[in-house]
Amino acid sequence: MTRAAKPATARRAVASLVAAGLLGAGVATLLSPALRAQSAAPGQALAFDRAKGNCLACHTMKGGDVPSTVGPELSDMKMRFPDRSTLYAIIDDEEKRNPETVMPPFGKNLILTRQEINEIIDFLYTL
Amino acid sequence: MKPEKIMVRLALVLLVGATALAGAASAQAATQSEFEAAYRAATEAEQKASALRNQWTPTEAALEAAAKAAAAKDYGTAMDLARRAEALAEASVEQAKEQDKLWQNAVLK
Amino acid sequence: MKVAIATIGRRAAACLVLLLALVLPPASAEQRIDPAADQRAFQAYFRQAFPSVALNDFANGPYAVDKDMRKQWEEIMQFPPYDFALEDGKKLFETPFKNGKTYADCFPQKGIGIRQNYPYFDRQTGEVVTLDLAINRCREQNGETPLPYQVGDMAAIDAYMASTSRGKPFAIALPADPRAFAAYEKGKKFFYERRGQLNFSCASCHVQAAGKRLRGDILAPALGILASFPIYRSDWGSMGTVDRRFISCNDQVRSVAFKPEDELYRDLEYFLSYMSNGVAIAGPGTRP
Repeated sequence: MTRAAKPATARRAVASLVAAGLLGAGVATLLSPALRAQSAAPGQALAFDRAKGNCLACHTMKGGDVPSTVGPELSDMKMRFPDRSTLYAIIDDEEKRNPETVMPPFGKNLILTRQEINEIIDFLYTL
Repeated sequence: MKPEKIMVRLALVLLVGATALAGAASAQAATQSEFEAAYRAATEAEQKASALRNQWTPTEAALEAAAKAAAAKDYGTAMDLARRAEALAEASVEQAKEQDKLWQNAVLK
Repeated sequence: MKVAIATIGRRAAACLVLLLALVLPPASAEQRIDPAADQRAFQAYFRQAFPSVALNDFANGPYAVDKDMRKQWEEIMQFPPYDFALEDGKKLFETPFKNGKTYADCFPQKGIGIRQNYPYFDRQTGEVVTLDLAINRCREQNGETPLPYQVGDMAAIDAYMASTSRGKPFAIALPADPRAFAAYEKGKKFFYERRGQLNFSCASCHVQAAGKRLRGDILAPALGILASFPIYRSDWGSMGTVDRRFISCNDQVRSVAFKPEDELYRDLEYFLSYMSNGVAIAGPGTRP
């Protein structure tokens, strides 16, 4: 089986499991960089999906074709947000941190599930 | 086989197993009357949102999908959707209550 | 025991007083509503955010604040896409009803050059009346069925009436009537409160993020935003009224929209138009 032919569902399943933390951080460290990049695929799909993350509407980021300037550009995420829980809090309910934000509270308002937010964070960390 | 491949396989097996179990459990658990109770709770919450003039479209969509699933006798799915609708309706009620005061902070002064 | 009851009684009384203080509006609530001050602050904000945009140019929304979009717009305006609606609107406006009367009989100045005064607060009925509502009331008074709002003939008549008012600055009146102030305040709240699953207020996009890019679009500043209605929106592929825009905005933030001319929409239009007093009518307009 070639890598390209590998079913997307399998990749998604792996990412989901990792993201949900079912197997703990141990597995994540076992994964090779290539696999980690693959695990960002579902997060990327969610981030770009207009019905889900729709991040491109407001943020300029790699993979988007027209620049958006409502929110800050999403790049160097690992460096800017070394603490994963900070990034989670921003996506979950940024209004709690910054009452004036225009960022939708993706977790609080049930736009994304916990798992989906974690998948998006996996993807954001590749930027 | 490389260790990472083994882990991938293992993860898949675990996931498939867990999903099957969860699916069976929810399908068994949800009966028509349980769905109806959940649907009623969701509708009541949505009426509160309506009284506050702050309904959300995803709540309406979930209610509609729940009714459709129930009509097809898929009470497991219908139950999940009704619960989601209720959670959404409650979030919209909470939003309206919070904003009743918070909007003042956004006024240009 | 008696002492305990007395304490509870005192506490309850204290709680009640506190509760009443929270529930009852403070005596100065009327005074705190200061629309003229609101308007100054509102206009100052946008003048400061867009110092190179002339007041009347705010009517042109994204085209006023972005050079590239302005260029595209100037090309579009060689053959304005609202021209057909304008022609239809003039015909509809001038065609007599079955009873022989026309729209001109319902409006001050025969309906010509009056767009800038709408919406107005009707002291007789105690409600806000928009131009579209007035058009339909005119029809009903003359035994005609009301037109559907948002699109079609309504948008066309609205477009024609706006075109006869071009260049006249918004002059929304706020009569010294507590009901008018209440309607204004309701519209103001609606403008600033977050709604829908996405948790946006009108102000989130059209104040805070005004002029910024949302994918390919530029978010229009709220100042003067209604001055070029009705609009031909390429995204719609047709004309739309203020109602249509409010409804689609609500829908975009995943909020269940109200019916056209709902009291809240009329109050919002009242507030927003009052905020734009001084900006000249430029309707009908176009938008991407």
